[in-house]
Amino acid sequence: MLIGYYFKLAWISLKKTPLLSILMIGTIAMGIAATMITSTVSIMMAKDPLPEKSDRVFSVRLNSWSPDKAYQLSRGEEMLPPMMTYMDTINLLEDGKGLHQSAVVMYKSMVRSEEQTEKEAKMLRFNSVNNDFFEIFDVPFLFGSPWSDSEDKKGAALVILDKQTNDRLFGGANSVGRHIFVGPHLVRVVGVIDSWAPLPQVFQGPNRAHNLPYPLFTPFQFQVNNNLLSKGEMSWRCWTALDDGTLESFLASECVWIRYWVELEQATQRDDYTDYINAYAQEQKKGGRFAREKPSELFDINESLIEDHVIEDDDRIAVWLAFAFLIACLLNCMGLMLIKFYGKGAEVGLRRAVGASKQHIAVQFGCETVLIGILGGVLGLTLAQLGLRVTADIFAHLPDGLMQMTTALAVLTVVLAVFSSMLFGLWPIYRAAQIQPSAQLKSQ
Amino acid sequence: MLKMSKLAKAYYTDTVKTQALQPFDLEVQQGEFVAVIGPSGSGKTTFLNITGLLEEYCEGQYLLDGNDVTGLSDKQKSRLRNEKIGFIFQGFNLIPELNLFDNVEMPLRYRSFSAGERKQRVMDALQQVGLASRKDHYPQQLSGGQQQRVAIARALAGSPAFLLADEPTGNLDSKMADGIMSLLKDINAKGTSILMVTHDTVQASQAQRIIEIKDGVLSERHTPEQAIA
Repeated sequence: MLIGYYFKLAWISLKKTPLLSILMIGTIAMGIAATMITSTVSIMMAKDPLPEKSDRVFSVRLNSWSPDKAYQLSRGEEMLPPMMTYMDTINLLEDGKGLHQSAVVMYKSMVRSEEQTEKEAKMLRFNSVNNDFFEIFDVPFLFGSPWSDSEDKKGAALVILDKQTNDRLFGGANSVGRHIFVGPHLVRVVGVIDSWAPLPQVFQGPNRAHNLPYPLFTPFQFQVNNNLLSKGEMSWRCWTALDDGTLESFLASECVWIRYWVELEQATQRDDYTDYINAYAQEQKKGGRFAREKPSELFDINESLIEDHVIEDDDRIAVWLAFAFLIACLLNCMGLMLIKFYGKGAEVGLRRAVGASKQHIAVQFGCETVLIGILGGVLGLTLAQLGLRVTADIFAHLPDGLMQMTTALAVLTVVLAVFSSMLFGLWPIYRAAQIQPSAQLKSQ
Repeated sequence: MLKMSKLAKAYYTDTVKTQALQPFDLEVQQGEFVAVIGPSGSGKTTFLNITGLLEEYCEGQYLLDGNDVTGLSDKQKSRLRNEKIGFIFQGFNLIPELNLFDNVEMPLRYRSFSAGERKQRVMDALQQVGLASRKDHYPQQLSGGQQQRVAIARALAGSPAFLLADEPTGNLDSKMADGIMSLLKDINAKGTSILMVTHDTVQASQAQRIIEIKDGVLSERHTPEQAIA
């Protein structure tokens, strides 16, 4: 009952000194907004894209690079190539030591439906993957399913479309069994995936981390069989000169161009798989390959994000700076509360005289800090949403979902504001409760 | 009944002890009207604050309506103050943002009265001071005399045994002051004890008893003139 009365008094008190109230609420709102904008962007950019199994899905990195020179140095340390050669990919796929495994490469090609003319074809980008890819990355299907193991092996002319492409080519209908042209090749649709925006997108490498996946998926072997390499756009590096420009020499070369992902049944099998790839490297060493000393390694999803610099230390520094700014704002607000509460000495004296205990006074001012916190939180949330919208406009190339605050973060914003306001209001409240009533009553 | 035995008050700084009130004995019976007079700085307000449990005393014993006040916690003293004492101040001490109803209701909020009972008590108190019809008005819409009437209504709302009034007419002209004195006498006639600090010998003479405080020494006087002499 008294709590309702206290909130009524708090509201009256805020209205009594509008400028001071606006300053207090605004100060909290600014701090909260800055913190939440920075945190949201940071959390969204660095969140675990596959939380249920990120500790058992690995990027396999083999050290097949030149004996003379490291692939890359980072702060004096040798980095492993993030991609592997075609022959290693094929060997690892054939061994199939993981629960699921897939190569991942990109290419682009002209795409049209059977009904469309060549002029209506559009240049689209593809994920060239194995059928396990969809299992590893939990890709949701709207229609159909991945291609079979045998189709995967022989590189059948099959395609899986994303929802948007299916909408464009087939008006959103179930297109499984229908055909599209990929360049000159007629390929059959076996599946349509549902809306899917894994952020950050880890499987195509750091450059694609904050973009939506490419819209089409075809079997890796289909790309190889049909020489659908987009060397101008895909990532690839060589440390030996290519004999000639043919596909055969490229496939037989030491050039690295394929990202390789494996899902293990349990995270504890990581060491076994690491032993397996290093045993493989030893085996290859006998043939004159894998001359570097640094062993090959596995990186789980979150480690890959760090290794590929998708998550930077700068992001964390920005969050810490934002929190420091919040604390500065709250200290400011605490000063304003001290002024505000001390200015109410006469009222405190009167209330004490008519029977309010120190506890009553503390709860009354506590309610005022809660109200300031709620209003600061709501205003902060509004400012944060505006800030995120502006940020999203500036980074318009990034997917929509990236700059959106989740409901949990929105609730957290208000809770944080109320909690901070209460915490930093403790000292002013304590001081107010200690006001000597006798000194105030005569002076009024 | 209010009973003080060997009660004394001193203020201490690092090196100096200032005796604000010398040890004294005092009893005030239910229904008495006591005036407290004395020159400025003599300790009148300190005495009133101790009586109203707003200040600590250093030694002695104080029984308020049978309750020994010594050693009570802040919460217990606040409760006792709320139930037994009503304050009236020279400066009225009304909260300008609250209307008359809310001002008078204030002490009742710290007691477990229902909303209905609070309303009844507030209206009765405002009726008693003749301002029931102006319950929705704000203090600044009233004259000084009317504001003091509201403060008296606030003091009366909780049906206290004692009213402690500190120069209740100090900020009013003589006509308004007469009205307030007349109101206080009416209240006293209905059984509420009143302790009133005043400078005004005419007003003091209207009390049943007169206590003089001079240089921290309390003494009983029969007439104001005797005190001044």
